[in-house]
Amino acid sequence: MTRLSTRGLTKRFGGLCAVDGVALELGEREILGVIGPNGAGKTTLFSLIAGSLRPTSGDIFLDGERVTGLPAHRCVRAGIVRTHQIVRPFGNLTVLENVVVAAMHARGGATGHARDRAAEVLAFVDLTGRDGQYPGTLTLAGRKRLELARALATGPRVILLDEVVAGTSPVEAQAFAALIRRIRDERGISVIMTEHVMPAVMTLSDRVIVLDRGKSIALGTPQEVVANPRVITAYLGTAADEAAAP
Amino acid sequence: MARLLDMGLSAVLLAGLYATMAYGLGLIYGVLRVVNLAHGGVLMAGAYLGFCLHERFGIDPYLSLPIVAAAGFALGVVLYQGLVRRIPRGAAGGPASLLLLFGVWLVLRNLAYLVFTGNDRTIRTAYVASSVAIGGSHVSVNRLIVLGISAVIAVALHVLLRRTQIGRAIRAVAQNADSCTLAGIDVHRVYALSFGLGTALSGVAGVLLATIFSFNPSSGSSELLKSFVVVVLGGLGSISGVALAALLVATAEVFAILILPAYLTTAVGFLLLVLVLVVRPGGLFGHRVLS
Amino acid sequence: MTAIRPRAAWRRVDVGCGAACAILALLPPVLELSAYAHNLMTLTFLMIAGALAWNWMGGFVGQVSFGHAAMFGVGGFVAGRLMLSLHLPAPICWLGGAIVAGIFALGAHPMLRLRGPYFSIATIGIGEASRLVFTYWDRFTGGASGLSLPLDGDLKYQLYWWALAFAALVAASSVVIRRSSLGLKLLAIKADADAAADVGISATFYQDLIFVLSGAVVGLSGGLYASYFSYIEPGDMFGFDRSISFVLMAVIGGVGTSLGPILGAVVFVLVRTYLLASYPQLYLGLYGLLLIVIILFEPLGLTGLARRVLRRIRPAPGGAPP
Repeated sequence: MTRLSTRGLTKRFGGLCAVDGVALELGEREILGVIGPNGAGKTTLFSLIAGSLRPTSGDIFLDGERVTGLPAHRCVRAGIVRTHQIVRPFGNLTVLENVVVAAMHARGGATGHARDRAAEVLAFVDLTGRDGQYPGTLTLAGRKRLELARALATGPRVILLDEVVAGTSPVEAQAFAALIRRIRDERGISVIMTEHVMPAVMTLSDRVIVLDRGKSIALGTPQEVVANPRVITAYLGTAADEAAAP
Repeated sequence: MARLLDMGLSAVLLAGLYATMAYGLGLIYGVLRVVNLAHGGVLMAGAYLGFCLHERFGIDPYLSLPIVAAAGFALGVVLYQGLVRRIPRGAAGGPASLLLLFGVWLVLRNLAYLVFTGNDRTIRTAYVASSVAIGGSHVSVNRLIVLGISAVIAVALHVLLRRTQIGRAIRAVAQNADSCTLAGIDVHRVYALSFGLGTALSGVAGVLLATIFSFNPSSGSSELLKSFVVVVLGGLGSISGVALAALLVATAEVFAILILPAYLTTAVGFLLLVLVLVVRPGGLFGHRVLS
Repeated sequence: MTAIRPRAAWRRVDVGCGAACAILALLPPVLELSAYAHNLMTLTFLMIAGALAWNWMGGFVGQVSFGHAAMFGVGGFVAGRLMLSLHLPAPICWLGGAIVAGIFALGAHPMLRLRGPYFSIATIGIGEASRLVFTYWDRFTGGASGLSLPLDGDLKYQLYWWALAFAALVAASSVVIRRSSLGLKLLAIKADADAAADVGISATFYQDLIFVLSGAVVGLSGGLYASYFSYIEPGDMFGFDRSISFVLMAVIGGVGTSLGPILGAVVFVLVRTYLLASYPQLYLGLYGLLLIVIILFEPLGLTGLARRVLRRIRPAPGGAPP
């Protein structure tokens, strides 16, 4: 069963085509990795799916329903949520309040239960005992967990993880990897994730899509994608150019 | 037809003034990401300084510009070092910097009122009544001079920003202040300089304004609005863009008389602001930056 | 202050405020206040309401408006016109003014999508444009000469309790908003409007909502103000100075807090009355200096100072909010 799909998704910024005709499909209980060299359009793709940006053309479907062009807050109501590359907690709210305010918008959930949802989600990401603290006092890993908890609290069907692991220690990275698997397995949420930390993406993803200069150049299992000559050229080609430059 | 030509000429002459006003605001916003809400106040202060120099010492307003520029620069540096520097950068400092500079505006306004009273003033030079014939229309001399001076200022600004060391530093800091710190540039010094330069330009614009229009301590809000419109329309970092935008705003204002009743022409600045901000909803920089 | 706190703590505050209102209500007959003091307090209650309403935008949502005089003026003149032309009872006129002011605020919708300095400057524009338009629209506002309303001594006397009830209602609403889920959402929007959208909160909707509510309340205070002075003119009602006064009251008292605007309004009215008597020329400059000092040293104004003192006496757990 396809959870999320895009068709010919394109975003142009003036002359620059950041995302060019990307088609992808995300199944239920699946982790889809998005990789590609720098500037390939990964974060732009995320913004398009999550509603922060309007596509120039193309469509996005969630469980068969067309959600193209919905603004971010409506996407969240529909069930698509994202985390940010550079975490953006609400600095003037406590850890608990950060999650509660997101839980208030959970699909079909009553506002009265927001605090219970928040507590449950905070326990899930292993960020307990800090309810009354402010995000400024947390470590980076803590703030990343908070960002994750906030996103989960909205009760999504699809979650877009933008470089969750980046910048964390190997131990924390392992913990996050386990968390991502649990999101898929225990909570039944489909995940699209992007990372610069290649091993993380490759071991976690069920399937991988490779972007290069806005276009999708490969889609398949991690093993298939790694062996794909186009992918190798996209990555190595860049490296060779960089090596050749003075 | 002759009337239209007249109006077109008026617009061009006015555009120079608006451009100079906008450069001051735009420079500070472009480099520090702070909207100088005291802009109107500094403008007004510059006008009064020019007025004072003319009344007390008989100095021709156009010749007093270097003095006003220097005073404006000093004021800006003091404001930055004493006040603006202490506000956090970015979104957290947003309302704080607005309110702080607004407070400065109030103080300037009150000072002007105490020293000069609330009466309307203007700088009347001996040649203010004379006009020059250009292609059938009569153009007042001081408006021509204002245009000329504005052009000189624009060129000077261009040279400063593009051809000098300090200009390069300013542009670098405007682009990415953090990287500049790493590269060894004293960012605070550049900020202070930019703020001073911005207020110097505002002060100079004030003198130019005073030679054409009357002013009083409460002046400044419509000038602030117009400058803001020009900056948003013209784009930061583009001297010619601002000049063009100034021309657009001036033209709109001059020709608005054809459609709007007289009292509303002052509101044209506001109407333009609405239009500009609605059409470009995210402001100049649009959405958050994405890779 | 966190929004989520134990119920018991709130109860003490609520009871205290209720008592304060009861005392204020009984003050005039018990203390036999002079007409001067009586009227001054009436004016203070009006200003409290206006400042609190401004604070919903400036403090709760974080959008600083320099143009609230527009709604104040609309509310005042609509109320005045209703009284003059239709001879409706005062409360109905006031309500009419509030409703029209709210609709007027809704008309500013395109501007409400703006953030930060863009919004603030746009509000300067709204305020100034309103002043110009309404000054010229002399059939409605009486032009530069303004509107003179029939003097009604009884009404002016009763205005004390109307204004007190009004201020109490607005204060209670402030507190309710602050503690509710709405308040939490507003704080999230204030912190980061885009991130708020990313968790399902529509910044535009809530900004619209608060601006309309804020505008309606400020419009209502304009109507009461009209009855208070029995004479209103556009230069004063729509003036930049009027807009500035709302900003000053909230910021001096403590922008973003529930208590702040109340303190600020009291201080503002007192200082203004005293200054106008002794040093009429200094009042704007003094406020400007106050603003500067507050922003630099105690962003939460008088409330911040009070909290610092209280914290010396009774330290709070969990650290202070940023």
